[in-house]
Amino acid sequence: MMRIRHLMLVAIALLSTVAAWAQVSFTVDAPALVALGNNFRVEFSVDAEPEKGSFEAPSFEGFDVLAGPSISTGHSIQFINGRQSASYNCTYTYVLMPQAAGNYTIGSAAIKVDGTSYSTKPLPIEVIVEKGTATGGKTQQTPDSRIAQDDILLRLKLSSTEAYKGEAIRASLVLYTRVSIDNIESLTMPPFDGFWSQQLEFENSPSREEYNGKIYETYKINELLLSPQQSGTIVIPEVQMDVRAQVIVQDNKRYDPFFGGRQVYHVTRNLKSAPVSIKVKEFPAGAPASFQGAVGSFSLTCDMPETELVANTSDRLELTITGNGNLKFITAPRLTLPESFEVYDTKVTDNIMITATGTSGSITYSYPFVARSAGEFTIEPLEFSYFDPTTGEYRTLATERFNISVEDDGSTPTATTTGGMVSYGSAMRQLDRDIRFIHTGTLPTKGAATILLTPLYWLLITLLVALFIVAYVALRKRMINSRNVVARRMKRADKVAVQRLRMAEKSMKELNRHSFYEEMLRAMWGYISDKFNIPVSNLTKETIREELYRRGVSSAIAEQFCEIISRSEEAQYAPSVDGDMNEVYTEAIEVISKIEEVVKR
Amino acid sequence: MNIIDRLTVIVALMVCLTTANDAYSADATTTAAACWDEGIEAYEARDYAKAVEAFEHIVTLGEASEDVYYNLAGAYFKLGQQNISSTLRPFAGGELGRAVLNYHRALRIDPAMEDARYNLDLAVDHTNDTEAVPDSFITQLWHSLRDMTGTNGWTVASIIMLAIALMLTIVYLLGQRIVLRKVTFFTALVLYIGFMLTTALAISSHMATTNDTRAVVICNDTTPVHASPDSASKIIRQPSQGVTLEVLRSHGEWSEILFADGEKGWIRTSQIENI
Repeated sequence: MMRIRHLMLVAIALLSTVAAWAQVSFTVDAPALVALGNNFRVEFSVDAEPEKGSFEAPSFEGFDVLAGPSISTGHSIQFINGRQSASYNCTYTYVLMPQAAGNYTIGSAAIKVDGTSYSTKPLPIEVIVEKGTATGGKTQQTPDSRIAQDDILLRLKLSSTEAYKGEAIRASLVLYTRVSIDNIESLTMPPFDGFWSQQLEFENSPSREEYNGKIYETYKINELLLSPQQSGTIVIPEVQMDVRAQVIVQDNKRYDPFFGGRQVYHVTRNLKSAPVSIKVKEFPAGAPASFQGAVGSFSLTCDMPETELVANTSDRLELTITGNGNLKFITAPRLTLPESFEVYDTKVTDNIMITATGTSGSITYSYPFVARSAGEFTIEPLEFSYFDPTTGEYRTLATERFNISVEDDGSTPTATTTGGMVSYGSAMRQLDRDIRFIHTGTLPTKGAATILLTPLYWLLITLLVALFIVAYVALRKRMINSRNVVARRMKRADKVAVQRLRMAEKSMKELNRHSFYEEMLRAMWGYISDKFNIPVSNLTKETIREELYRRGVSSAIAEQFCEIISRSEEAQYAPSVDGDMNEVYTEAIEVISKIEEVVKR
Repeated sequence: MNIIDRLTVIVALMVCLTTANDAYSADATTTAAACWDEGIEAYEARDYAKAVEAFEHIVTLGEASEDVYYNLAGAYFKLGQQNISSTLRPFAGGELGRAVLNYHRALRIDPAMEDARYNLDLAVDHTNDTEAVPDSFITQLWHSLRDMTGTNGWTVASIIMLAIALMLTIVYLLGQRIVLRKVTFFTALVLYIGFMLTTALAISSHMATTNDTRAVVICNDTTPVHASPDSASKIIRQPSQGVTLEVLRSHGEWSEILFADGEKGWIRTSQIENI
């Protein structure tokens, strides 16, 4: 068992060496900035086993070597999820002390690994004289006062304090410290009023920096991209942060041989960054009509539709704006299409990345449309203007004028434009309204004054009523008169009859039969005609009977009347018949008087 | 015969009077006709300021018919729209108020003028006039019937109806046949009712045109309407030009007015003009 284990270890060691051969790195690490009077460490590390004695240190000009080289080697093997990895590390450490302020360079160190030489890059180091360096004599102070007010600082650094509206500014919140920081307890970012802020991705590596003549360790806490949205001077208020710092105190009185005499204190500090102001400049005058607030530098590409289309098929025009600037605030350029084109909602797709210099990427506008009617059309150029803050000028990009010919698909009539109304065969759209045109022609005569309730009106009304009365009276009188003629005739009827009967009597006395009967008939017919206002030509025995019946004369009398007529007619043309004329005569007088009695009543 | 003679004399006298009147205004008519042609020419050439001047001159001559007011209103409206380029806002010179005023005047003479009503509606859309309290259905019906023609139209219609009705009455009174009498009786009855209705419409139309107490705001800026005739009192409303109001009474340089929606207030008389 032991042997097997031994073999395994050897195998592992061999494998790790093979792995190490693949990538040998030889690096130098030292702070870029040191203060005069402070010592610092320079470490040369190699991740493969070097040949013994092959390390050649540089000359360290301008520095005193306080210690070194101290060599430390490390070897580790890891098993992660059944995979094994091994690493080897060898570090040569020197402790140096700068001799004077200035810029120095640590030269290249060289080393040999398996016969191959490696060397480090020269490393520049700046040595400065720190102001007010207070070292020593702090032993009797409280832990809080051990950290000077300017030992921990918080700064909001801006890439620029002057910008145009919409131009991006990078704001980094940096913690400067000369002591070790345990923890950030709270961070309150101010409201960035007047800005559109976007979070940036940033590297969280510490670095050293000189500020106010002191050297600090710097840590980036936050980084934002700010786009001013209004002009004028905008002040960003202070950023507040609570940090906990660690203070190590060497306590000589209570020296513990095992734990050492070190006391560790924690100090909480409330840090405030100074408010910063940004001057936001308004765009200069003379903006082109198509300028809508785009700031940065852009380029325009346009994907035109087919030049030949069939009516009622859809197509699209695609416009892509690529560049760096406030892409998110760009509005789609206006596309003007001929009236017979039906335009649909513009589709926007963007591919935007936020980088330290601003947002960059591209935005694509897709303008779908349907050409409704056939014809040759020209699409006017699309214009896009932006403001270039680096040159302080407006730039206008435009697509090319584009001709399109739409072929008739046989279903739609050609668009007809008449007086602002465009019709597409079926429905007509009201495009706009305006007042109707004035009335022309000759000057119209002033309308007549109102006649209502004027003398003329009353005159007309009176005239009408008067006319009515006059007409009524006149007509009525005429009617009454004509009625009286009839009445008189009726009144006269029996008189006429009597006269005629007398004539008949005279004929009877002369024994003239023919004339007697003739007079009799005439008297009889005439009587009825006059009495009832019926023309003689319309009279028959039937009508006589009817008329008499209507007037309430008994049928017996009517019959008698008709019988007299019949007898008279017979006797008139039959001379041989020996009729008694006297009898006929008296009978007739009797009947007439009877009728007279009945009718009169 | 005596009565007819007298009537003839009266008619003759009236004819004489009207012809005398015509002779007096013959000169004014020729000037007005020239102005009319000039106004139309200027309007067609889009010189609306000149068109306004020409049509206004016809009005001052007293020769204005409904068409003159209609054209004047149109010229004012166009002038107000044209001035946008120089004053940056439409109707800066109170043209909208003048346009509304003159459309109202045209409609007052001829309530049946459809073009004027259309244009008035369009002009009123540019004002901040409030929605009127809607009239009852019967009132609306009566008004739409009344505005079908002017006072004279209704008067003539009523006289014709009366004449026919009287004729039919005679036929009814003197007729012999029953059917004829029945027909004439009912027709005459309907015509008498028609006569009364048309007379009422004529009177209503006459009242609407003669007793028109409406006024239009002509001031070019928003005009304050105060709660009492005192410029220190509260401003209750700010009607824009072209808002139509009813004038109730006047007090000093102030007029009490009634808005279409029933709100009352006081406005300076100089800022409104009666229709």
